[in-house]
Amino acid sequence: MNQDIILEVKDLSVSFYTDNRKNNAIRNVSFVAQRGKTLCIVGESGCGKSVSASAILRLLPELSRIENGEIKYYGREEPINIEKVDPDGDLIREIRGGEIAMIFQDPMTALNPVYTVGYQISEMLLEHNKDMKKDEAMKKSVELLSAMGIPQADQRVNEYPHQFSGGMRQRAMIAMAMSCNPKILLADEPTTALDVTVQAQIFELMDNLKKDYDAAIVLITHDMGVVTELADNVSVMYMGYVVEDGTVDEVLRTPAHPYTKALLASIPILGRGRNQKIEPIRGSTPDPFNRPPGCQFEPRCDYATEKCREAMPEREFISGEHNVRCYCYKEVLKDE
Amino acid sequence: MLSYIIRRLLTMIPMLLVICFLIFVGMELMPTDPISYMVGPEQIANMTPEKLEEMREALGLNRPFIVRFFEWLGGIARGDFGYSLTNGQPIKDIIAAKLPATIELSLYALLISTVFGVFLGILSAVKRGSTTDSALTVLGMVGISIPEFFFGLVMILVFAINLKWLPIGGRTLPEYTSYWQQFRHVIMPATILGISMTAGVMRYSRSSMLDALNRDFLKTARAKGLPKWRIYILHGFRVALTPVVVLIGFRLPTLVGGSVVVEQIFQWPGIGDAFVTAVRGNNYPLVMMIALLTVTMMLAASLIVDVLTALIDPRVRLE
Ligand SMILES: Nc1ncnc2c1ncn2[C@@H]1O[C@H](COP(=O)(O)OP(=O)(O)OP(=O)(O)O)[C@@H](O)[C@H]1O
Ligand SMILES: [Mg+2]
Repeated sequence: MNQDIILEVKDLSVSFYTDNRKNNAIRNVSFVAQRGKTLCIVGESGCGKSVSASAILRLLPELSRIENGEIKYYGREEPINIEKVDPDGDLIREIRGGEIAMIFQDPMTALNPVYTVGYQISEMLLEHNKDMKKDEAMKKSVELLSAMGIPQADQRVNEYPHQFSGGMRQRAMIAMAMSCNPKILLADEPTTALDVTVQAQIFELMDNLKKDYDAAIVLITHDMGVVTELADNVSVMYMGYVVEDGTVDEVLRTPAHPYTKALLASIPILGRGRNQKIEPIRGSTPDPFNRPPGCQFEPRCDYATEKCREAMPEREFISGEHNVRCYCYKEVLKDE
Repeated sequence: MLSYIIRRLLTMIPMLLVICFLIFVGMELMPTDPISYMVGPEQIANMTPEKLEEMREALGLNRPFIVRFFEWLGGIARGDFGYSLTNGQPIKDIIAAKLPATIELSLYALLISTVFGVFLGILSAVKRGSTTDSALTVLGMVGISIPEFFFGLVMILVFAINLKWLPIGGRTLPEYTSYWQQFRHVIMPATILGISMTAGVMRYSRSSMLDALNRDFLKTARAKGLPKWRIYILHGFRVALTPVVVLIGFRLPTLVGGSVVVEQIFQWPGIGDAFVTAVRGNNYPLVMMIALLTVTMMLAASLIVDVLTALIDPRVRLE
């Protein structure tokens, strides 16, 4: 097996049980994260990106359950099956923050308003470094903040989140996430709430982290532009399934799933000039409680056949790591 | 901070004046002639109208309304709260005698309700949906809806009359030498008063805590690998604290106002008890003073609440 693989999610399914109805939020999802590489998970709102990330840290809300599958973490001597770990136990607590860190979409609400930024970073450092002293932790927090490009970090460390701008809060969140040198950084749409210039700075920061610390980054986004710039590997999700997965070249240059293709056609691509045709995907995402019986994308798909209405296609490997869930992928590839 | 407090105290003065005026008007409108409570009924029957008029004159009851108001106000400013109409005792002395009893009772009740209410509320929120949560919700409902006098009578029946563990009522007796002997008297009334307040604090803490538990930063706290107590107490409860402090802060006036029902049942010689007697006897100077005391405490409580909120929530700034 590939030595660089640090996390392997295999056939993972998670369901929500709300109002006595079952929502198969993610179904048989598989992807891998590798050291020093960025995996981008893309897909429309509600396709299960956040659920997949939360499952990795066992942070799923109540009323949800991991139905089947594996989450294998290779950061220690022995691989750990995270899906079997007690979600309230000591082991997962060591992993959370210490080995797999997570940053969230909205930096405005992700920090606790009543503690200083420095306190919140130190708290994490102290939790995972038992013999660290409080003033050492505070000093480290200042270093981390200034490494994240926050000016006058020695003063800012004593300020409260509401005194920070959105971009600075997200930097503080990243500083906190990186404070214990995690092996994996899960970033759930870390820049959606920020403006474009700040977005670019944050991504640059994350790219450096990947290089400097050899960390694996799992970046969740619904922005194809971000994927083109940052990703080494891409997983495309639709309605709880990973419909296509592979290296960024494979997926972006030779999309094999009609959804990926449609997604790429729906965004402008830099450098292609202003005459490119932009086509929104027709139809709308189905209700998760009233799903199509077969392939989830079938009602919106130009390639749909009779077979597509019967069952969700299995994963098929095209070449190397590139795999797809589509009965008609050969035709899709031919149409390039 | 200090200048804010001083400014707030200054703005309280016009508010207090308005309140004083309203209280005075209210008491003025009461239908009974206070003279009838100062002199026995037979005496009034035997008195000539002139004699009665003389009496009114002497008590200052005949002067124009506005004059009496300022007279009364001036008295208060000089620390002269007037005299009880029933027995001529200075009101200052009455309040000085009753206030310690009420403060003792209310302080214990406030303590009980804060400790239990907050603890059970958090427990209920953290274990939401569980049997513990449902049981506590039902208990809270019972605590709010069953009247204090019913609880009081049941407790007296069980602990005082049947088990003889605790005294039926009163506060202190001349032969007492230690506080412990006196303390036995406060147990039942403080528990009753505490229970009814606990239910409110509990429901409030629960919803405030639930609110905090749903916030994004709680997920951040979990993702940091923090232990549960840090997540729930230092992150969840610390943020849920503000509304709870507000609620408890606004209970502070009971410290001086006392509880009418509980003080009556347990013959607790407090302000609440004195208030009822005064109202029944149309002893309006005393009623006014007690009302004024309570209202002043309410204003003070709102200042205390504001200062406390600013102290515990860095986003709140005192302007
Ligand atoms: N707390 C929850 N309770 C019930 N259902 C949930 C909950 N969180 C997510 N879901 C369901 O799980 C599915 C996947 O949601 P998820 O949050 O992973 O989407 P997402 O891809 O992250 O979307 P977005 O881009 O909007 O963040 C959706 O059908 C959603 O309704
Ligand atoms: Mg999401």
